[in-house]
Amino acid sequence: MRRFFYNIICIACMITAVNGYAQDQEQQQRKVTPVKPSTNKVLTPPKGTKEEIIQQYLSGDTAQAKAQERKDSLAKIYPRYPKLTELSLGLNFGDAILMAFGQKYSSFDLSATLNMWNRFQPVLIVGLGRAKDTPDDMNYTYTGKLSPYFKIGANYNFLFKNEPRYQLYAGVRLGFSTFKYDITDVLIDNPYWGEYGQSYQLNGMSSNALWGEFLLGLKVHIASNWSLGWEAKFHGIFKSKKNDKGNPWYIPGYGTQNGKWAFGLSLYYTLPLNKDRWPVKEEKKK
Amino acid sequence: MRRILQHITLAILVTASLTVIATSCNNDNCIGNGSAIPLAGFYNGDKQITINSLTVYGIGAPNDSVIINKTSAKSVYLPLRLSTNSCKYVFNYNTEDMPNDTLTLGYDAIPYFQSHECGAMYKFKITSLEHTTHAIDSVLIPEPMITNADVVSIKIYVR
Repeated sequence: MRRFFYNIICIACMITAVNGYAQDQEQQQRKVTPVKPSTNKVLTPPKGTKEEIIQQYLSGDTAQAKAQERKDSLAKIYPRYPKLTELSLGLNFGDAILMAFGQKYSSFDLSATLNMWNRFQPVLIVGLGRAKDTPDDMNYTYTGKLSPYFKIGANYNFLFKNEPRYQLYAGVRLGFSTFKYDITDVLIDNPYWGEYGQSYQLNGMSSNALWGEFLLGLKVHIASNWSLGWEAKFHGIFKSKKNDKGNPWYIPGYGTQNGKWAFGLSLYYTLPLNKDRWPVKEEKKK
Repeated sequence: MRRILQHITLAILVTASLTVIATSCNNDNCIGNGSAIPLAGFYNGDKQITINSLTVYGIGAPNDSVIINKTSAKSVYLPLRLSTNSCKYVFNYNTEDMPNDTLTLGYDAIPYFQSHECGAMYKFKITSLEHTTHAIDSVLIPEPMITNADVVSIKIYVR
């Protein structure tokens, strides 16, 4: 019985040994399969690949090389401007032109716009506004005394991939003004009772207003550091102080109470900041 | 230099055009009357009624001028005098069996700038009211401040 088991174990060992030898032979045959000459060609890097990346590939650091390539590729698609890209000082003079076309009120303001990453632009505006109107076929003169106004807001530049010299932006503003106005030269007729030329003056009336604006703007470089800008504004009054003797017609910096649209024209002087960190514009291939 | 001038000219034209468009979109009409005159309406219960052949005039009006003369009316404007603080009106029904009624209003005239479109005017605060009771049963003034709003501000209830 013992001898029988011994024989079986010997046979099993022989079979295992023969099988292992056969597999080993098979693997040795795969190793010696010749490489096709066409797959053995030398790969050359694409034109414009940085020497630093080529060296990384050659040294075997492919992960680092690929990461650097991706970073460079993104930088081409999304050129990243520094946090402080520009500072623009603007003068809004649109109302000066419109007064020549018959507008009876005007606002002039100075603005400071900080261009951040060529994308977000906080804006601060300080201005003065006035009005004087004696409407045709009406019985009074409205005088809005020269009064200050303030606006704070921000723009978003849609052309942030391009140079900041040309901008298309949307913005919001919050405005406030406190002001005085007079109603003078009032003449009232009361024909039934035979009362003609009744007159009065309403002097020194005061009010204030808080309003909001949505705007679309375009800024175009004209020469050196100078640019021109247009703005179309849609605005509404959040709150205004009512007056027992009559509410104001004109609000400095806003315009007339019943107007929902306004337009601006500004001249800007721009100071570039951190220009050494601006993305370098690639020259077009000839 | 020529390019700059072209830019500026274009900017001026664009801004002026857009402003003209925007101005035309704004409402420039006066909402309400050009002056504050109380409108008196005739009522029977809750229903506004027409009075036939009615003559209304103010006492002391120059040349005895009338406000309406032998007219069928649902309502009538009663202009207030600016140089005094009360007015007396006569309602003549032009029938033999109904004597005239009178209505006296006391008021304060307040100078007021209504709006750019409507102009400057007086608004009136009614302070007192007296009337006879021949055809008139009662008079109600729902809102004592008379403005240029085109609404009935004096309700005259007739029998």
